[in-house]
Amino acid sequence: MIKSNHAFHLVDQSPWPLTGALGALMLTSGIVKWFHSFNMTLFISGLIILVLTSIQWWRDISRESTFQGLHTLVVAKGMRWGMILFITSEVLFFFSFFWAFFHSSLAPTMEIGLAWPPTGIQVFNPIQVPLLNTIILLASGVTVTWAHHGLMENKFSQTLQGLMSTVILGLYFTALQAMEYIEASFTIADSAYGATFFVATGFHGLHVIIGTTFLITCLLRHKSCHFSSTHHFGFEAAAWYWHFVDVVWLFLYMTIYWWGS
Amino acid sequence: MAGLLARTGFRLGKRPSLLVCSVRGEKYMADPLEHATGIERKELEAIKKGNPDPFMMRVMKRGPGTKDQPTAVPSFQESRIVGCICHEEAFYVNWMWLYKGEPKRCECGYWFKLTEAQDPFK
Repeated sequence: MIKSNHAFHLVDQSPWPLTGALGALMLTSGIVKWFHSFNMTLFISGLIILVLTSIQWWRDISRESTFQGLHTLVVAKGMRWGMILFITSEVLFFFSFFWAFFHSSLAPTMEIGLAWPPTGIQVFNPIQVPLLNTIILLASGVTVTWAHHGLMENKFSQTLQGLMSTVILGLYFTALQAMEYIEASFTIADSAYGATFFVATGFHGLHVIIGTTFLITCLLRHKSCHFSSTHHFGFEAAAWYWHFVDVVWLFLYMTIYWWGS
Repeated sequence: MAGLLARTGFRLGKRPSLLVCSVRGEKYMADPLEHATGIERKELEAIKKGNPDPFMMRVMKRGPGTKDQPTAVPSFQESRIVGCICHEEAFYVNWMWLYKGEPKRCECGYWFKLTEAQDPFK
């Protein structure tokens, strides 16, 4: 039964945009409250509301697309553009942190010893764990492409293996980076070096976690046979996001870890 | 793992979405057209039947466009907006309302007539 004689998807009423906005408001103001009053309640509440909103909103999108078949070719095309624009905005987001890094590192001030790295900072050796992390992310780019080709060639098991490998590599990266954070001899408060290092790599790590979650969702949807060999935009969006995360890491590695050491 | 996948396929309905191939235990997915549902499926079926533009979103090539043979513009309702691209290098589209029973002439000289649209999904 077709309810409209046009190709577009006019969505049903949904509470998730409102709850998402409220959650985001609580999250951001909660962070500020955390900084001023050392109280995390508002932040945690905002985070929980935002996570629940995301789960239910995207669950609804899966239902509308896979189960109701409302995603026609033009709808999918629109979403492609949406994802491209979103990733572009994220590129600009990271650009600002790279700007901050170069601002501080190209002309080091008197306060940090007219040198970069600043006097007293023990930087990470770029050919140790950071290099391993680089290899891990590059390999995960290969495995996600393998999974995509498996999907396009109608091969269920190969797609599953590719996706599984990508997720495992992503989790491995996160674990290694977490250990690096714990073992670091400097903190975010340690001069411009610590600030630029932890803000840039920290946001990158957050994006890796988001990307891994997106891939895990694709893995579960694939196991439930949501994807077909021609229509699997959710997977493609996850793969694009993952490649973006990989590229950001390459820039981070080359500038902050390698050039900046 | 194979058992889990087989059960997943079975749980989804009478028609299993997974085909188990005996070569190396590779499982294959369903045919995309079979997998689709709803309006997406109708679109794919229409394309397969030979109509690449079931939602009439592409630019239409006009016919002779004279007063005796106006270009037929299909519509499900009593009126439709028509945009005439008068010539190849026109830098604007001439939009106009077209009403049932009233053939209309664009300023460039081409005539349009509203016709009843056939359901592309039949």
